Amino acid sequence: MMYSKLAFRNIRRSLRDYIIYFVTLTLTAALMYSFLALGFSPDILAMTENMSMLTSGILMLSVLIALLSSFVVGYAIRFMLGQRKKEFAAYELMGMEVKSVRNLFLAENSIIGGAAFLLGSLLGTALSGLLNQVVQNIFEIPHRYQVLFSLRALGMTLFFFILMYGFGMLRAAKVIRRRKVIDLLYDSRKNEETGFRPLHRSVLACLLSLAAMVAGVILLGKGLHIQTNEAMLYWGGGCLLILTGVYEMHRKIPVLLYQLAKRNPRRKYREENLFFLGQIGRRIQSSGRTMAVVSILLTVSLATMFVGLTMGAGYKANMEAYYPYDAGVAIDAPLTKESLDSVRSFVAERCEIEDSVTYYLYAVPHEAIEALSLSDYNHLREILGLSPVPMNSNEFLVHCDTWNYMDGIRQGLEQQPEITLNGRTLTPAETPIRTEPMEQYQMAGTKGYVLVLPDEVASQLSGEKIRLAMKLADGGYPELKNELRQFLNSGEWQPDIQPGQELPERVTMGVTVKAWGVANSLTGFTTISFCGLYLSIIFIILSCAVLAFEQLSAIDQNRKNYAVIDRLGVSGRRQVSLIHRELSTVFLIPLFFPIILTILLIVGTQFIFGEAILQEGLVLFYGMVTILLFCAIYLTYFCATMFLFKRVNLRPEMR
Amino acid sequence: MKEVLKLEHIQKYYGNGGNVTKAIQDISFSVQEGEFVGIMGASGSGKTTLLNCISTIDTVSAGHIYLDGTDVTEINEKQIARFRRENLGFVFQDFNLLDTLTISENIALALTINKVPAGEIDGRVREMAGKLNITDILDKYPYQVSGGQKQRCACARAIINNPKLILADEPTGALDSHSSQMLLSTIQSINEMLGATILMVTHDAFSASYANRILFLRDGAIFTEIRKGSDSRRTFFNKILDVLTMMGGGVNDVL
Repeated sequence: MMYSKLAFRNIRRSLRDYIIYFVTLTLTAALMYSFLALGFSPDILAMTENMSMLTSGILMLSVLIALLSSFVVGYAIRFMLGQRKKEFAAYELMGMEVKSVRNLFLAENSIIGGAAFLLGSLLGTALSGLLNQVVQNIFEIPHRYQVLFSLRALGMTLFFFILMYGFGMLRAAKVIRRRKVIDLLYDSRKNEETGFRPLHRSVLACLLSLAAMVAGVILLGKGLHIQTNEAMLYWGGGCLLILTGVYEMHRKIPVLLYQLAKRNPRRKYREENLFFLGQIGRRIQSSGRTMAVVSILLTVSLATMFVGLTMGAGYKANMEAYYPYDAGVAIDAPLTKESLDSVRSFVAERCEIEDSVTYYLYAVPHEAIEALSLSDYNHLREILGLSPVPMNSNEFLVHCDTWNYMDGIRQGLEQQPEITLNGRTLTPAETPIRTEPMEQYQMAGTKGYVLVLPDEVASQLSGEKIRLAMKLADGGYPELKNELRQFLNSGEWQPDIQPGQELPERVTMGVTVKAWGVANSLTGFTTISFCGLYLSIIFIILSCAVLAFEQLSAIDQNRKNYAVIDRLGVSGRRQVSLIHRELSTVFLIPLFFPIILTILLIVGTQFIFGEAILQEGLVLFYGMVTILLFCAIYLTYFCATMFLFKRVNLRPEMR
Repeated sequence: MKEVLKLEHIQKYYGNGGNVTKAIQDISFSVQEGEFVGIMGASGSGKTTLLNCISTIDTVSAGHIYLDGTDVTEINEKQIARFRRENLGFVFQDFNLLDTLTISENIALALTINKVPAGEIDGRVREMAGKLNITDILDKYPYQVSGGQKQRCACARAIINNPKLILADEPTGALDSHSSQMLLSTIQSINEMLGATILMVTHDAFSASYANRILFLRDGAIFTEIRKGSDSRRTFFNKILDVLTMMGGGVNDVL
């Protein structure tokens, strides 16, 4: 009873040390619960048959997160033990048994852990409602805010929380048991080494790290162009080299900058720079490895978050255009329209066809564009619920729903406003470019755009590619895709070639079924997005927590140092400014490469995949979302650390 | 001789209401330029509180402290930093050196804070290090040198800006007897050769014997004061011991 009272009092007294720890535990529990609740939600699981992918992904990641978090809990506990070693020494000197001191510390931590779990679960329940809305939004299901409460998710969160906390507690118990009173009393008197290797060695190490990073990027680039499994080797090697490079660069660049700054007397002796450099030098020396690891974790987190969000959103953007029709068959061969009647019958046996159209993509002589007849085009529009397009017999229009071709088409129309086909000159229609999503695996042109011509002009061209678009009752079903494909490849289907035409050497054939696309791809990408988000946010939180504890572990030494400059005549205002400068630098050092690499990743993605994503500005938008989300978490930890730093280092009137 | 420091009826109370502790009660004295004054007293006699009030680290409850004519009790928070860096030098028992800087940088820190031009700093540090015989350890870090060397570095830092007053709080408290002796000789030479005015708080009679004048505090008030005059240090040391013996009794035993 007495211990529990003492434990509560200790928590109140050590609130300063516990606050970041508590916030980290709460956020981890909240994220764990909200994502698990999402993964276990019957409504979410019922969306598609393979939605269990999300559950498996989140469960597997939760195990990984629990293990990683246990290291951070251990780290935090070591920090708190360091802060309170004299107090524990006093208990032991008064005759309290080591076992009792350990139990007291464990009791305190259990209270904190319990409170963090309860608060985290509450926050997680609120957060689950938001995640639920996001998923339903992705699947375009009408939605409203509704929290997800799942006993199973709560149980799993508790299990993972105990797993994570249990490891940390075991480590703490071990540390307390092994520490002797003399270590607890005089540990802070041990010297901290601040020596650095010569400047030329730092320069050499930086150059080698840079070379490793460049080699890594080259290997990744090569891997992208290899279609076999060998590509995995290149990617693995490339990633390893980049990570090693980033790690070493992070260890050495701050050392190099520090050494260079100290070599220049003007910079070194300007105002309080000497003190500042000393402070930073010690942080680089004692926390260099941690900062480098944090930097890698942040790089991985930012990349995971960005790739996850962009892939998910990008695919969703493309889905609209990839699957406007319930089902479509595209055969790049000059078949007769009757050849596709049996295909239509095959589908009709399985589900009701509400509407369908069989049409040709006509070859336009001397032009790299295909053409559709106006009646086919309007029929397709009708299937999609779009109004028919009126067009005079001497006009044409271009349909293009791929944004990145738009500028080229506009320029082409300005340069060549008239086209002449079979002796008839056509001018652009009133609306010369139509952009509604109608493309579905080359259904409207194989190049991403198509020319729409009056029927009488189109019919004189050669119909070299044939298409069948269908509108099905209830949108069809996912298995239809494989059934259709099997039918087309079986001997059952006997297509006829148009008179006077020949089959090309290679016939490209495509089958698209919207239900299949939604069921498989969207689920996959939702899983990737959410797992990426889950992992990256927790990684960022854990990295920030480590960084904050790393700074706070030196707080007592810092207090002494600031007291020295206070007596030497540095004003309160300058001390505040020095604290801002010191902490900002320490928090910025691990950010340097993650931010540069993330920006490179965003720009590179825009450059390489931008054209393939049909929604303009999507890559940049999610790049910004990634950076803003990251900044919000990072700034929260930075401000909390700053608050504690000021409280401890400055006299009350200066805070 | 010019009066550098003057204390007028200083009082310092802690606590409030019915629970007031009088740390200093009505102390007045003055220090002339170039004097080496020791303040002695048992634990709790108020000597460190007095030093903290003079150094502007703590505030007085009543009275005035004038340093070179400026009333430090009237200085506001914004002016204190400037006042300290331009007028005071500190030497503490636990050295208060920054482990993050080398010995040379620790000395230079006081100059940079006082906005001395960068080009002058290294020269002045070397010159001061030469005077205090610590040139060969300038590039070492505090944890690589002995306690005596650390304290000489602290002395160098305290005097490099030529402050009007050097305040030393138990400077030999963390040193062995040999290092203490060397440091006290150094402080004495700083006083004699450089003409620095020093106010040293100590409870050690041997350390106090290096001063020219000693103020003895008891229960927050000046118990008595003795001057070295033309006495040898040994004689002065014996006088100090005599006073300390008397302080075990009452004021009547001394007078």
